[in-house]
Amino acid sequence: MIFIAIIIGCILGALVGINIPTISYTYSSYLAIAIIAALDSVFGGISGTLKGEFNFKVFISGFFCNSLLSILLTYLGNKLNVDIYLAAIVVFVGRMFINLTIIRKYYIEKWTQKFEKLKNNKEKVN
Amino acid sequence: MKKGKYVMIITLSIVCFLLTLIIFMQFKVAKETKETNIDTMQEAELRQQLANWKTKYEETREKTEEISNTLETYKKESTSDIKTKQALEAEYKTLEQALGKTDVEGEGIIISLREKNENELSEDEFITPIVAEDLIYIVNYLKDAGAEAISINDERIINNTDIVDIGDFVNIKINSNYIRTNNYEIKAIGNSSYLESSIFGKGGYAEQLNISGIKATVQKSNKVRINKYNGEIEKKYIEEVN
Repeated sequence: MIFIAIIIGCILGALVGINIPTISYTYSSYLAIAIIAALDSVFGGISGTLKGEFNFKVFISGFFCNSLLSILLTYLGNKLNVDIYLAAIVVFVGRMFINLTIIRKYYIEKWTQKFEKLKNNKEKVN
Repeated sequence: MKKGKYVMIITLSIVCFLLTLIIFMQFKVAKETKETNIDTMQEAELRQQLANWKTKYEETREKTEEISNTLETYKKESTSDIKTKQALEAEYKTLEQALGKTDVEGEGIIISLREKNENELSEDEFITPIVAEDLIYIVNYLKDAGAEAISINDERIINNTDIVDIGDFVNIKINSNYIRTNNYEIKAIGNSSYLESSIFGKGGYAEQLNISGIKATVQKSNKVRINKYNGEIEKKYIEEVN
């Protein structure tokens, strides 16, 4: 059910995104940073789920708040003539790598365990 | 299914919707940025383009200035050329008129000379043929009275006209043309009163002619037409002194 909802949301988003009129390049930098922030939240959510610490409210609030905050920071940076969005990108991308590492480690451990289990089973059978 | 789960599913789908939406929007912007569209151009590209256009503008402006300067020069030259041409034409016309190379028309007189018949003669008069001298006198008097153009039997009197007798008062040569007649018509353009009085005034040359058996009559007119000199004006020996 959740997967179906996610797929439907993604397809709808893609369709609307393709057909919507192109926004000006000025605003595109805000969108880009919002995407990075949202992706960071998604990876955070995935790693939280894997660790068993997932909290839906924290995930949703993180998704929207991080996006908005990054947009605001970019805006402020534009006004101050400082590329603050670079700092936001560094933080978000850094966290994404950490989360990815957690996800990677989790699955490696899982597969290693599975592999060992299979090996043990085979040895038992023999 | 719990109510909380529905909320989670809906929220998740909304989140996915928003995420893919902005991702695809961004894709679109990025794609169009690569195609040169001024609305979606990157700042650096815009700067570059602006600099290029500025350089082009400067170059074009310089060229325009150069061309307009050249145009101005040409204009000046052409106006001065036209002016010179007009002045030359005017001068040429005046010279041609002075030389008698143009047909002219204006106020003047027409003098007719003819030898009297026998019955017209009085006692003290006797017939003498019209000679070149008579014509020279008349021309000189007319010139003295301010005649601007003179012709004798449609032979224009110009600055090097010769009026001479050829043979025994039979022929008169004017402008290298031999005239053999007893009737002469002298046309002159100028103030008709002055011209008339110069010949026909009291004690004028007309009186002398009358005694010589030559009948002179005058006709004033506002439109005396004198034809141009048709011959060539040749100079063989004359040279300009610098």
